[in-house]
Amino acid sequence: MSNRKSKLVFGLVVLATITSVVLAGCGPTPVPTPTAGPTPTPKVITQVVTPTPAPITGKLFLNLGPGDVPTIDPALSTDTSSVQIVEETTVGLTRQHEETTATEPGIATEWKQSADGLKWTFKLRNDVTWVKYNTATGKVEQVLDKDKKPRVVTAKDFEYGVKRTLNPKTASDYAYVLNFFIKGGEAFNTADTKKLSEAELKKLEDAVGVKALDDFTIEFTTIEPTGFLPMVAGMWVAHAQPSWLIAEKGDRWTEAGFFQGYGPYTLKEWVHESSITIIANPFWPGTANIPKPKINEVTWYMLDDTPAMANYETGKQDAASVPLADIDRVKADPKLSKELKIAPILCTYYYGFNTKKKPMDNPKVRLAFSMAVDRVSLIKNVTKGDQEPAQWFSRPGLAGAPTLKDYPDLGVKFNAAKAKALLAEAGYPDGKGLPEITLMYNTHEGHKKIAEAIQQMWKTNLGVEVKVANQEWKVYLKTLQTDSPQIWRLGWCQDYPDANNFDKEVFRTDGHEYKATNWSNKKFDDLVDQAGRETDLKKRTELYAQAEKILVADDAAMIPIYWYTRVTLTKPYVKRTFSVLGGLEHIEKWEVAPH
Amino acid sequence: METEPTLPKEIIANLENKYRLNDPLWKQYVDYLTDILVPRFSTAEEVPSLLTDALIRFDVGAVHVKWMNFGPSYASRARTVNDIFKAQLPISAQLGVLALCIALTIGIPMGILAALKQNTRWDYLGMSVAIFGVSVPVIVLGPLLIWIFAVTLRWLPATGWGTWQQAIMPSVALGLGSSALIARLTRASLLQVIREDYIRTARAKGLQERLVVIRHALKNSMIPVVTVLGPLFAALTTGTFIAETIFGIPGMGKFFVTSIGNRDYPVIMGTTLLYAIFLVIANLIVDITYAWLDPRIRYT
Repeated sequence: MSNRKSKLVFGLVVLATITSVVLAGCGPTPVPTPTAGPTPTPKVITQVVTPTPAPITGKLFLNLGPGDVPTIDPALSTDTSSVQIVEETTVGLTRQHEETTATEPGIATEWKQSADGLKWTFKLRNDVTWVKYNTATGKVEQVLDKDKKPRVVTAKDFEYGVKRTLNPKTASDYAYVLNFFIKGGEAFNTADTKKLSEAELKKLEDAVGVKALDDFTIEFTTIEPTGFLPMVAGMWVAHAQPSWLIAEKGDRWTEAGFFQGYGPYTLKEWVHESSITIIANPFWPGTANIPKPKINEVTWYMLDDTPAMANYETGKQDAASVPLADIDRVKADPKLSKELKIAPILCTYYYGFNTKKKPMDNPKVRLAFSMAVDRVSLIKNVTKGDQEPAQWFSRPGLAGAPTLKDYPDLGVKFNAAKAKALLAEAGYPDGKGLPEITLMYNTHEGHKKIAEAIQQMWKTNLGVEVKVANQEWKVYLKTLQTDSPQIWRLGWCQDYPDANNFDKEVFRTDGHEYKATNWSNKKFDDLVDQAGRETDLKKRTELYAQAEKILVADDAAMIPIYWYTRVTLTKPYVKRTFSVLGGLEHIEKWEVAPH
Repeated sequence: METEPTLPKEIIANLENKYRLNDPLWKQYVDYLTDILVPRFSTAEEVPSLLTDALIRFDVGAVHVKWMNFGPSYASRARTVNDIFKAQLPISAQLGVLALCIALTIGIPMGILAALKQNTRWDYLGMSVAIFGVSVPVIVLGPLLIWIFAVTLRWLPATGWGTWQQAIMPSVALGLGSSALIARLTRASLLQVIREDYIRTARAKGLQERLVVIRHALKNSMIPVVTVLGPLFAALTTGTFIAETIFGIPGMGKFFVTSIGNRDYPVIMGTTLLYAIFLVIANLIVDITYAWLDPRIRYT
C-alpha cells in the first residue's frame, strides 16, 4: 500500500494549496508546451484567456466495459464509466489525487472553514474557460458569451451545478450525497413538485446552502461542522454545469457536437454502444496537479473483458483489464507478465448478516461465521487477483481508514479453532441445533464461486451446512431491503475517498444497508458521527478504528472478505498512473511514446 | 453493478415522479400506447427532452410533427428507446442480412448436392458439415475465429463494426449455424420432391437435368425452407446477443437480454414490439412467396 499520503493533507487543507496558489496566481496563464515536455514553465501574460494552438499529439485506446456510458451529465452520473468521462471533461472545486487520494485544488485554489465550522469558502481560478469541440473544423474552441468574449467558468456555474443536482425535477440518483451535508439540500431535493408552486420551489432552491459571493468565490453552508466538505464539494455532482446550454438543448446537451466542458479534455465523439472519444483542451491552463494533457485523443471502447483482451493482444488497445480466466496465462507469459500490474482500488467485498433472524441474532454466532472464512486461501484459489484479505470494512487508503501497518490486529482474522469455540459457546457445538441458514448473492459467476468456497469453509471449520441461493441484481436489492436472508453479499466502492463514505453511510443506523442488517449500535453511531466532525486525521483514524472493532468484532454485523485490486495490462510505450479511485484515471498525467 | 448502493427513498420518489411511475398502472399503459400511436403536433420550439422524444420527426411548414415515442431507457440517462432503434437496429439488420446471405449461399447448394448424390461421399460430407454447424454454437465458433484470424494470423480485426473486414467473422459465425439448418431442410425436402411423378415426366420429355432440378424440383421443395426463413430473418435482423457481445458489435441484440436484468421496461416493451413487427412482416412475405413457389396456393 503506497497511498498513505492522504493523511498529511487532511485537516487543514489550506496549507497544501498554497503552493498551487503561487503557481496559479491571479490571472497568468501558462503557455502550452510541446508534447511530453518537462513541467510547463509558467509565463505571465496580461490577458486572461489567450487562444493558442496546442501541439498535443498521440492517441490512446482503452476500454470502459460493456454497454453504453449511461450519461456524461455530472448531475446524473452514478457509475465509474460515466464519472470517468465527467472527471476529464469537467473539474470539481477540488480533486482527489488518483494515487494518494489527497484532496487537491481543482478549479478552487484555496478554501477555508469559518470559525463556527459551518461555512466553507472556496476561491476559484479565473483562467478556465468553457470549451466545445467543433465538429466542422475539427478543433476545440472556446465558448463565447453574448459579447463574443470567451465564457470563463465562474462560481455561479458551480452554484447552478449544485442546485441543478439537488432539483427534484433533475431526479439525480446521487443528490443524496449532497443532502447529507449541505444545508437546505434535503428540503429542496425532497420537495413535492406536483404540489408546490414554482415560487415555493424557488424559495426552497434559494435556501440551499451554496452561494456564489462573487464571480470567483463560492460559499457552502453545512448542516453541521464537516471537516471533509472540500472533498464532497469536489464530487462530480457538484461540478459546474452550463446553464445556457441546458436551457437550450435540454436532456440532449451532453451529445457530441453540443457538449460544453472545461476540463483538461472535452468530448469529441460519442458513438453510443460502441466508443467514446475525448480530445485535449488546448485552453486548459495546466495547474500544478492537473497538468496540460500530453495525449491528444483518448478513445474508450465499450467491450466485454474478453474481446477487449483480444484487442489488447492484437495491438488495437493500449491497456486492458485481464479477465479472470486469463490471469494464470498472463502471469506465465514472458511478455505479458512484464506488462501486468495489480493495483489496489478503494472497494470492499463483504457479507452482511440480518441480525434479526435466528441464529444471526447472536453476535457470537456471527463472529464464528466471520472467523471461519479463510480469506488468504480464498484469494489464492478462487478470486486470484491478488486481492488483500480484509480485516474490517473501510478499505485502507481511504482518508481516516485504519491501515494494516498501524492496526495489524484490528478486526477479524481467520481462526478456525476460535470460531468453533465461539459457536459452541453460543449453544451450537459443531453446529448442532442450528436452524436452516441461507447465504444469498446476486447472480454472477464470480460471486457464485466465492459463495461456494465459503460454504465449504463453514462446513469444514464449523460443521455447518449453509444453503446457497441467488437472485437477479434488481430483485436481489429489493430482497435485501424487504426481507434480507441471514447472510447476504454486497460490495462497496468509494464515492469520495473517506472512511465516512464507508462506515457512516453504509452501516450507521438508517444507513444504506440498515434494512438489510437491522443492526443498530448507539456507540458505533456516536463514534462515526464524532469522526465525521473531527478534523485531526490521527484522531479520526482512531475513532474509525474503534467503530470498526464494534462493527466487525464485538457485534460482528458483517464479514469483511477482501479489499479489491484490479489486474491490468498496459503496453510498455504508455507512461501512466494507476488510480485507486475505483479505476477513475487522470489521463492528463499519462504519456504515449511513439510506437 | 456489484456495488450499487440502495437508493434513499426520496431519490426513488424523484425518479418515479420523473418517469411517471407513480401513476396508476392503467394510466401508464394508456400513456405508453398513446405516445406510440398518436402523432403530436406543435408549433412551439421545445427544449429537447428524453421523455417527449419521438422515432419519427419532421416539419410541415412551421408545424413540428412527432410520432411514435417508445419512451426513455431507464438504464441510460442519455438515450431513449427511439435512439436505440435509430442507431442500433440498422447495425443488427446489416449483420443479420449478411449472415442470412451466407446461410443461403452455403446451405442451399449443400442441401441440393447432398440430395442429388444421396448416400454418396458428397452427401455424408455435406451432412457432417451441417451437423458441425448446428452443434457448434456461436459462443464457441466466435472466440475460435477470433483466436485464429485476429490474434494468431492478424488478418482481421477482433472487434467492432463499420468496415467489411469487421463484418466477415461475425457474419460467418452466425451464418454457418443457420446454413446447416437450411442444408438439412433443403436435402430432406428435395429428396421427397425428386421422387414425385412430375419430375419423372419432366425427365421423360427430355429436359436437361439442370432444368429439371432448378425449375421443377427445387422450386417446389423450397416451401419448408422459406417457412423457416421467416422467423430466422426476424431473429437475425433484430439482433443476436451472443455474436454481438463476442465481436463487440453495437447492435440491438443485447437490449433483448440486458433490459430484463435492468428492469428497463420501456426497452423490454420496445424490443418485444419490434421483434413482433419484424416477425409479422417476415411471415407475410413468406406467405406471399408460397403463392409464387406453388401456384396451387391462392389466397382469396
